[in-house]
Amino acid sequence: MDFIYYFGDVFTPLSFMLLLGGTIGGLILGATPGLSPTMAVALLIPFTFQLEAAQGLILLGAAYTSTVAGGAVSAILLKIPGAPANIATTLDGHTMAKQGQGARALQLSFLASAVGGVFGVLLLIFLTPVLAKWALAFGPSHLFWLAILGVTVIGTLDSASVVKGLLSGCIGLWLATIGFDDIMGAQRFIFHPALGGGINIIAALIGLFAIPQVLTMFAKGRHNTGAEVIEVQRHSILEAFRELFSRTRALSIGTLTGSIIGLIPGVGGQIAGLVAYDQTKKFSSEKDKFGTGHSEGVIAAESANNAMVGPSLVPLLTLSIPGSPTAAVLLGGLLIHGIFPGSDLFDNHPDVAWTFINSMLIGQVLMCVFGLYVAGLAARVAQVPQSVMAAIVLALSVFGAYSVQGSMGDVYVMACLGIGMFFLERFGFSAAPLVLGLILGPIAEANFIQGGMIADATVGKASYFLTGGLNLLLIAVVLASIAYSVWMELRHRRYTTKEEAQA
Amino acid sequence: MNRSQHVFGSGLVFAVGLWVTWVSYTQQPAEAFLFPRLIASVFVVLAGWTFGKAVMGLSKVGNGVTRTMFLNMLPGLVITLIYVFWAAKSLGFYTATAIAFFILLSIYDPAPHDEAKSWMKRCIITGVFVTVMYGLFAMLLNVYTPKEILF
Amino acid sequence: MRRMIAGAALALMSLTGTATAEDYPERPLMLMVSYGAGGATDFQARIVTMTAGNEDALGMPIAIINKPGAGGRVGWNWFATQADPDGYTLAAYNVPHFIAQSIKGGVEYSADSFEPIANWGADPAVFVVGADSEFNSMEDVVAFAKENPGKLTVSGAGLFVGHHIAALQIDKAAGTKMAYIPTKGGGAAAMKAVIAGEVMGGINNLSDAFRAQEAGNVKILGVADLERNAFLPDVPTMMEQGLDVDNSSVNFRGVMVPKGTPPEVIEKLSATVPEMFANSRVAKKMEAGGSPMHIMTRDEVIEMWAQRQQTLNELLAGL
Repeated sequence: MDFIYYFGDVFTPLSFMLLLGGTIGGLILGATPGLSPTMAVALLIPFTFQLEAAQGLILLGAAYTSTVAGGAVSAILLKIPGAPANIATTLDGHTMAKQGQGARALQLSFLASAVGGVFGVLLLIFLTPVLAKWALAFGPSHLFWLAILGVTVIGTLDSASVVKGLLSGCIGLWLATIGFDDIMGAQRFIFHPALGGGINIIAALIGLFAIPQVLTMFAKGRHNTGAEVIEVQRHSILEAFRELFSRTRALSIGTLTGSIIGLIPGVGGQIAGLVAYDQTKKFSSEKDKFGTGHSEGVIAAESANNAMVGPSLVPLLTLSIPGSPTAAVLLGGLLIHGIFPGSDLFDNHPDVAWTFINSMLIGQVLMCVFGLYVAGLAARVAQVPQSVMAAIVLALSVFGAYSVQGSMGDVYVMACLGIGMFFLERFGFSAAPLVLGLILGPIAEANFIQGGMIADATVGKASYFLTGGLNLLLIAVVLASIAYSVWMELRHRRYTTKEEAQA
Repeated sequence: MNRSQHVFGSGLVFAVGLWVTWVSYTQQPAEAFLFPRLIASVFVVLAGWTFGKAVMGLSKVGNGVTRTMFLNMLPGLVITLIYVFWAAKSLGFYTATAIAFFILLSIYDPAPHDEAKSWMKRCIITGVFVTVMYGLFAMLLNVYTPKEILF
Repeated sequence: MRRMIAGAALALMSLTGTATAEDYPERPLMLMVSYGAGGATDFQARIVTMTAGNEDALGMPIAIINKPGAGGRVGWNWFATQADPDGYTLAAYNVPHFIAQSIKGGVEYSADSFEPIANWGADPAVFVVGADSEFNSMEDVVAFAKENPGKLTVSGAGLFVGHHIAALQIDKAAGTKMAYIPTKGGGAAAMKAVIAGEVMGGINNLSDAFRAQEAGNVKILGVADLERNAFLPDVPTMMEQGLDVDNSSVNFRGVMVPKGTPPEVIEKLSATVPEMFANSRVAKKMEAGGSPMHIMTRDEVIEMWAQRQQTLNELLAGL
């Protein structure tokens, strides 16, 4: 119960100011396209040079939690996911915003984020030693199977046709191989200098989601716009509360999936939202409503990606191994103050450790309060005329893609992918599976090659990848996931043919 | 018309698939292309399947691009291409953004073109937007964007 | 209209064009780090550049830009081919990494593509094993490797980085063949593989290994350097344990500019930057973070690069 003892430290005037500043600043940074949580936290590191260790970490912790949630704002209102974590939020969230329910979507997303986030941090507080063992249990072979599990989700994610969904996924997997191969260092498919660094995932996200939308707005032309001014509906916070807790299935699946996946080093936050979205859809009684502005989609995605925040820090705080890029940046924030994560942190600097963890807990609540406050205002973005909106999103995409690495190449890649995606979408392909392929490809490949090298030196590939409890469990889940998709597809097909026959 | 568009679209994807497959099986070193080969094989089969269905006119999902849509979109697309691939780098980010933004507003904003008031409004919106962008990216985030010949 | 724009452009160009070395730098500089945010190089680069804005240093802040990928190849390729040699684009170098990569080929840079400015740190490679490993010295490791050729799995941050060079040198000195496993995700991922027991041993940065040892997760068996390190006075060098491994794998980190940067700019930078590194606030932060500092001037770095080029040519010739 150490953490309660140190609660007071969070509420000293300076600490609380930093917490507030970090939260609000984090929301703004998170909502800016092109700024992933990792970069936002890295940007704040210089500010912590001047602060005490505990205070510096309060700022970073608060910023981390709220940038993850802030990404939902641009995902819902502009359909620009700020980070891979927010992809799943765009699927239903942006549709809701287009129907004038932006306020509701934002309120639900902040509430779900807070519930997931608090749960995640509580896991971090109470179960850290157990979870640390878990995090270490995932070796290359398990991460490989986990990535394959993600691939099986591709076909059923947000696509009307399974074949085209899989094909979109393949395109994404191929795009991920462009650039230098990470282990051998060989050049692959670099047919233009802008691709020398491979396809940057953030720039790709901006292009794939935002540009097709810009072009769709252009395609509506000049004169239609007057006809469809969206009426932004007000939505009371109380109702949002009620709705959130009537969707317990989505909330609990999202929170649990996020916590478990967030724990796994190297895979973590990127796919938590998408996997939770897919699982919720599979278990939901209203499957067909997903993708059409269904609140369960937003709740699952957002509760998952904030639930992963706490557990993603477990390997860092206990073993001094950063499990995600953001954790690596936080490690830097600790090191400049001479604090080494691990037993040293909890034994010799408990004030720093617990103040940091507490600040994330309070940060979740503050983020939620502040988010709910601005939700109603922010939702008015939907009232901006389409012509202005298209130009704004276009300019934001260009700036966002450029600021990722300060490189024009990323802007070109962003635009090419975006324009290509617009036409592909018109032919029934979709962006979400493509992006999932883009994220999972490198994880699957690196772990397959690395695991293969270890296997060749020791027990051989077959027994390395196919034996052991965790491997078998993961393989079983992969098979179950495939079987479920096939079964659903067949059932769906039988129904449709029956309907067609009757008609 | 829809069918021929589908044939064209999926044909293009199929062509990319064939190219990817060819490259992955011919390039060296072979170890580095192991994974691309695996992907390419699945890619080309699925793309071929889709292409085949499109040729037979069995593509169900996706509505293609209608003529009006395309004509509506064309000016915006051309300006986007010029903005991204030339203007941003050569004129400087903020200048290019201001110009592209203003032209896009002029083309797509439904307000009448023969009133001074609506032109004023467009100018003001452009000005405010570019200022906000400058404040956010240059002042707050310290992103150094290419300034080149203008700004 | 067109004439007006052209005129304005000309006026602006003449304004910026007349800038001389005395005014340099007149806007913030950029330092490209070819590893991800949060890695050891990135972390140290952020500390050593934190005082750049001071009047006695450059008087302008330095912003860090990360271009990670393929063990640094992505960033250095970009730097050699696309960065403007205007003095406002700097990069962090890691020796022996980029020299070894240029010898192996497939990249568009070599030591001649860059002009060194100054060196800030030297991080030796160390051999680590899990805390519960049966190995207690390099002797145990070598004995196992000799009995089981190709079976001793050893993790490191990538192919042809300092860790790999150290592994090659150990193999050469002891006549063994270890299975070197490069990881994606840098030193942290390689360390995780050791702690989790996925591999039997690992070669890692001294700074990271020191931290992991403090946390009780690993044992450090040997340092691949000429002398023992101040952070680890009890850990013997490879030489002391009978392995002929010199300091070729020591990870030197410093700042460089692309070839073609104006000489007066290089002069100004190489005079100011080592001073900036020597700042006491920088030293304190580096010490606190467990990062060994080693400041070298431009001339010393040029010599060090040439030396590395030669040893690496010999070492990698047989591969």
